[in-house]
Amino acid sequence: MPHDATLLDEREAAARAAAAATGPGRSPEASAHDARDRHDDLRSLEAGLDRLQTSPERAQSAWRRFTTSVLPPILFVVALIAAWQLYVVIAQPRPDIVPGPVDVFNAMLAGWESGRLQLAVLTSLERGVVGFLIAVVVGTPLGLLLAEVKPLRRAIGPIISGLQVLPSVAWVPAAILWFGLTDATVYFVVLMGAVPSIVNGLIAGVEQVPPQLRRVGTVLGANRTRLATLVVLPAALPGYVAGLKQGWAFSWRSLMAAEIIAVGGTIGFGLGSMLQQSRELADIGGVLATVLVILFIGILIELVFFAPLERRMLRRRGLLLGGTR
Amino acid sequence: MSGQTAIRIDRLGKRFGAGPLVLDDVNLSIETGEFVCLLGASGCGKSTLLNLIAGLDAPTTGSIDVPAEGAAVMFQESALMPWLTARQNVELALRLRGVPRAARRGEALELLDVVNLADASEKRPHELSGGMRQRVALARALAQDRPVLLMDEPFAALDAITRDLLHEELERVWRRTGRTIVFVTHNVREAARLGQRVVLLSSRPGRVAGEWRIAETTGRRIESPEVAALSIEITEQLRKEIRRNAA
Ligand SMILES: Nc1ncnc2c1ncn2[C@@H]1O[C@H](COP(=O)(O)OP(=O)(O)O)[C@@H](O)[C@H]1O
Ligand SMILES: [Mg+2]
Repeated sequence: MPHDATLLDEREAAARAAAAATGPGRSPEASAHDARDRHDDLRSLEAGLDRLQTSPERAQSAWRRFTTSVLPPILFVVALIAAWQLYVVIAQPRPDIVPGPVDVFNAMLAGWESGRLQLAVLTSLERGVVGFLIAVVVGTPLGLLLAEVKPLRRAIGPIISGLQVLPSVAWVPAAILWFGLTDATVYFVVLMGAVPSIVNGLIAGVEQVPPQLRRVGTVLGANRTRLATLVVLPAALPGYVAGLKQGWAFSWRSLMAAEIIAVGGTIGFGLGSMLQQSRELADIGGVLATVLVILFIGILIELVFFAPLERRMLRRRGLLLGGTR
Repeated sequence: MSGQTAIRIDRLGKRFGAGPLVLDDVNLSIETGEFVCLLGASGCGKSTLLNLIAGLDAPTTGSIDVPAEGAAVMFQESALMPWLTARQNVELALRLRGVPRAARRGEALELLDVVNLADASEKRPHELSGGMRQRVALARALAQDRPVLLMDEPFAALDAITRDLLHEELERVWRRTGRTIVFVTHNVREAARLGQRVVLLSSRPGRVAGEWRIAETTGRRIESPEVAALSIEITEQLRKEIRRNAA
């Protein structure tokens, strides 16, 4: 096997090359020396060029991150609350229609003290997370299957895309008839909201895999399964994560819709139920407080879970330009 | 070298579907350890021929004999996996070759050192320059440990200074590893600088339209007078081939 014996001793190869280059009249040792020098020369030249053509990664300082991405939204929210308070003080609207920030804060405090707020947050969060995880478990294999089996995608793909447009609240009446006022109704609606997003994200991710990566995988000797697990799936990760993120948003929205509509039975007390209860009591402070809590939890999950995940993945691949987020 | 034939191409023809004949009656035999440059204008069928040798496509007529172990391929785009470091990219090739996990790391680092990239082993592709990426791709191709290395315009997208250095690097790797190299290019000077043999392909259909053997290949540089002289000769033949299409 010529290629097994291949890594000829560098010195010997160099000597051969140099002997051929310089011809008679010089000792092979001296020529080998020349070739060695030439190699070192090439090495230092290459190292210099490498240094010139790459720029060291500049990590953003924590302070800069704070001032560019954390501070602006906080300032904006503070300004919004100030404007709201100012409006309430100046225009003096009816407090049972437009409460001030203080009234809303007090409503939140009251909910906390009675324990209803914690109960509602825990119930909803648990359902949201569990429902989302079920959606991931269902959506991931389904998405992979549709992405890799073309005829299946042609048949089912458009329907899944269509389902993404259908507001999942539309499933609530049917779910109540099928499952009654139970948790199953809530989970069903959450799944119908989240699964299409996850499936579509994965399909989009796989579609965006550069064809040369697949080709290289084949050239390197990967069979179908290894190509899928070692090349296609990791290459499709950005699309998949985008799908997961949207899937979470849809889970959370669908959950709230389901909880608002389906109250009673064995369905526990979630944030949606709390919202509905406050409306029945004509408690606008409580309504707004609950809306803010729902919004806050949605943002929190995005910030502590999806944003870092996405940022890390994109940075690894050099897809993160500048630091806008 | 040994004088054994590594690749034998016999009366090869290729046509895509009902389209025109891309390659017609190509005959070529390449010796083990030989460095052959396939030269031709854009669209003449160089990549098609290389893909056929690589076994990525099947010939319409004729036959190709390649070593049973197959060939490693390197493309114009480095096509490195962007989520893996340089070392992990090389390790992927080792893994797909069946090298046990424990041996992969050391071997990958060794191969990266061959292309003078030991210091950049933990960098990801986006942190590397174009030339460095192609060297990682070269290390990855070497990791396949196939007797034949096929290269499809691997340096075409690089600047002249970098390309010049990579020519030297490739020549060194070739001498050191004894691989059989088929190097596709549309750049006459590159072919005259690198090959032991330059094979000119005509266009529409692609046929072997000329062959030059270079007796003395050591110490050549892109600016060497003998490289320039050969380039002029080859260019003349190439232009003659192109002019035939005007009529
Ligand atoms: N997969 C394909 N299907 C149809 N035609 C192709 C295909 N690949 C190449 N061709 C045609 O074959 C000819 C040669 O292409 P190619 O081998 O890529 O040329 P080169 O690499 O020399 O620039 C071109 O005319 C191109 O259009
Ligand atoms: Mg080509």
